[in-house]
Amino acid sequence: MSDSKASLPIIDHPEVNRRRFLKTAGATLGLAAWAAAMKPLLELTPEVNADEFLQKHYRELTPEQKTVVFKRLEEETKEEYNADVTISDPQPMDNVLFGYALNLSACIGCRKCAEACHIENNHDRASNNSYIRVFEMDMGGIDFEKGNANYDHPVPAPGKYYMPVQCQQCENAPCVTACPIEATWKEKDGIVVVDYNWCIGCRYCEAACPYHARRFNWEKPEIPAEEVNPNQSYLSNRIRPQGVMEKCTFCLHRTREGRLPACLEACPTGARVFGNLLDPDSEIRWVIENKRTFVLKEELGTRPRFFYYFDE
Amino acid sequence: MNVSAGKMLFIVGLFSISAFAVQMFASVENSEEIAIHPKADDAPLFPVKINPANQLAEIPTDRKDANGNPVLVSCQSCHGVRNPNPKNGSTGPLVSFHQDLSFVHGKLVCISCHNPEGSYSDFRLASGESIKPEDVMQLCAQCHGPQFRDYQHGSHGGMTGHWDLRKGMRQRNHCVNCHDPHKPAFPLFRPAAGPNDRFPPHHTKETHE
Amino acid sequence: MVEAQNPPSPAPQNTSVVLNYLGFLRRATGVATDGKWYFYVWMIIMFGIALVGANAWAQQVRDGMIVTNMSDHVSWGLYIANFTFCVGLAAGGVMMVIPAYLYDDEEMHQVVIIGEAVAIAAILMSTLSVVVDLGRPDRFWHLIPGIGKFNWPLSMLTWDIIVLNGYLLINLHIVGYLLYMRYLGRKPNPKWYVPFVFLSIFWAISIHTITAFLYCGLGGRPFWNTALLAPRFLASAFVSGPAFIILSMRVMRLLTDFHFSPKPANTLIRIIRVSMCVNLLMLFSEIFTLFYTGGTHASSAQYLFFGSHGANGLVPWMWTSMFLNIVGACLFFTPAALRRENTRIVACLFCIVGIWIEKGMGLIIPGFIPSTLHEVVEYSPSIIEWKVTAGIWAFGLLVLTLLLKLIASVFTYDSSRTITTEQNAGLDETNIKSIPVETIS
Repeated sequence: MSDSKASLPIIDHPEVNRRRFLKTAGATLGLAAWAAAMKPLLELTPEVNADEFLQKHYRELTPEQKTVVFKRLEEETKEEYNADVTISDPQPMDNVLFGYALNLSACIGCRKCAEACHIENNHDRASNNSYIRVFEMDMGGIDFEKGNANYDHPVPAPGKYYMPVQCQQCENAPCVTACPIEATWKEKDGIVVVDYNWCIGCRYCEAACPYHARRFNWEKPEIPAEEVNPNQSYLSNRIRPQGVMEKCTFCLHRTREGRLPACLEACPTGARVFGNLLDPDSEIRWVIENKRTFVLKEELGTRPRFFYYFDE
Repeated sequence: MNVSAGKMLFIVGLFSISAFAVQMFASVENSEEIAIHPKADDAPLFPVKINPANQLAEIPTDRKDANGNPVLVSCQSCHGVRNPNPKNGSTGPLVSFHQDLSFVHGKLVCISCHNPEGSYSDFRLASGESIKPEDVMQLCAQCHGPQFRDYQHGSHGGMTGHWDLRKGMRQRNHCVNCHDPHKPAFPLFRPAAGPNDRFPPHHTKETHE
Repeated sequence: MVEAQNPPSPAPQNTSVVLNYLGFLRRATGVATDGKWYFYVWMIIMFGIALVGANAWAQQVRDGMIVTNMSDHVSWGLYIANFTFCVGLAAGGVMMVIPAYLYDDEEMHQVVIIGEAVAIAAILMSTLSVVVDLGRPDRFWHLIPGIGKFNWPLSMLTWDIIVLNGYLLINLHIVGYLLYMRYLGRKPNPKWYVPFVFLSIFWAISIHTITAFLYCGLGGRPFWNTALLAPRFLASAFVSGPAFIILSMRVMRLLTDFHFSPKPANTLIRIIRVSMCVNLLMLFSEIFTLFYTGGTHASSAQYLFFGSHGANGLVPWMWTSMFLNIVGACLFFTPAALRRENTRIVACLFCIVGIWIEKGMGLIIPGFIPSTLHEVVEYSPSIIEWKVTAGIWAFGLLVLTLLLKLIASVFTYDSSRTITTEQNAGLDETNIKSIPVETIS
């Protein structure tokens, strides 16, 4: 009782002053230790800079701002990868909706498509990353439980067929819905793209995708300068920064200029058919209308634009 | 018909391995134009070019040249003077030449396709009608109708170039670019490197089962 | 009781509210950081662990998420597992509030604030768990509505951001208001906090429901895609939250002079008894559906409980969790649990750890194993992930310690600068005796 009265006013109490001094010293030490603990942040790659930090969402950039951004990215690629690249920005074509079909009777599982994707899209060399994953499946069903993506023997093996899986460019894409910041969206021509400079890397889209189509840049991609594909575009195959999502874009830097995707050109058996779903005379339309096509996990209602079919 | 470098070599009878190589290069220049399906709109379309068939006008012998490669001999050198055996459907009975030629193509016999009345490097349809070398796809199409139909609709056979012919041309494979007509089954491939995920499956199915 | 006996303070009439509030904050900081030697040892250890975590996180930002053991197959790991548990803890924190206000349990009123403090610390922990899971934390501003691009209402994650931050604000307000009034020596005006208390009850349910929706809305992941997920989350939250509060109350009773009546803890144990039964019932119902139906929907559960394709990394985790949950539940049902003995402490610890595994590693990881294309790639957290998670827990406990310290000090000894003899006369004997010496000497 008397203690409590004696303690007031607290300010002038010598014990309190000593305590306050000790606390201040402690807090200072604590702050210094905190700063020391956070030191690795100072060694961030130069791509994390003020311009990048303040950059607006792709769809809000004016043409002038885009020019500045692309130039900056080209310079950064030169600086960090010692490669001279051009970053273009091809726009969706009018009356074009891309579709892809894959003939499972023809595919022999040679992984040439995955390899072409790896080279075309400037993937990290060490992880041998590719947007295409080829599954060796047991004849007699479409059961991924019996599938194996790590086979390494001459193909096609007896009793097996092969099922390459890549982004299905869903009409009703769960990844687009999931993204909290609209860093991924569906373009007019049906291609789901990612703004690599807007993504925060929460990987919710990767959890949402039923097709294992999305990839995360777990570290900064490493590519030797001479192997960098210099023909790049902002929304597709430019070298991705660390810590963001990436995905197959049907090679939009090629396909929006009328060219075939890299995986199709690489296919030695012609198992792949690509084209404009809105053109009734296109090959893709002929396949859909005349072959028994199916889509993966149709029951999920994602409405893929990637079709599989068998011959007769 | 253009006289390619390969033809020239054939005519002067130089059997060398370079003939094949030069022919392969020449064949690209030789491609023929087939507009597979014209578009409805009137926009000018770029062509779809089909690689020509590799012409098989020579056959390897058991002799080797200085480089250790088999010496090639023209079909015509023998078949110009010999009567064909119409029943022969394998290379087994052939005692001279053809030894390295394996023939596994259904129940066909040699003269199902090779025209015994012509130069033997020429072909004929089942009707007996002789066909030009550049139309050789017709020969395949006689039996492989569905494949030919799919090919015509772009869903069989590899291609490069443009999906949009308004923007550029397309280059397509010929049947025999991928299928050896004597042994048309697609060969086994050694696949390209697989995914190098950081944590590959604990057990692949192969080892597990 | 204590609050009812304090007459309004005479001071605020001639001092501005802002100055008063700043003074309160200054005093609160002072009081919360004063303590005996073991308090400082505890704080230094916690701060040290938080530093280790911070350093590990900084390395992760520099080198990329490659330093974690996550992969494109198992793209969420320990961080999100811990996030899920912490959200539950936060939701369960207000379980003190429901009996106090809905059933007008007078004795609970006294300790409601402890539940709120646990909720604040847990929300901070869950928010941090998400931040450390981001590949590009430097772009956090893209998430701020108005400045960035907020994909609301489509993305469930945006809902989660709203409810988590809202919940933090509500609880900060309630705790801050109650403490401030106490500091001023005034009786809190129900108008200023009771509506928020009710709001926080609904909000608590919503944070855990929406966190469940994050997972169960994903059609591509059958293990999560079940309507039972949100109710299961709530049931387990109503176990882990109260259990954590009981532990906090025990620590406070032993180390501070904040005296509790035994009734609130017993009310909490009754809540836990029911919730744990419901939780286990729903878990078994889920397990039955999965295994009896079989097929691909059962493959994750198969991996979780028995291992599949020779991979069984989660099997020991899950059976440990089942053991802890069931034994914990049984312990809560013993009569000894209602006495102030160690039974309830063991039961609380068992249930907390059991649920941490069940709602964390046992829920998040099997969602990815097998992957959507049925590849079995295993996951176990890396050293960096453990360090960061430990750092988050240390930080959370640090915050909780400060809050509880402050609460204990304020509620046992009125830390108002305007304390007078008359006011002291109003305090009963126990409270006078319980004045913490270190706060005033």
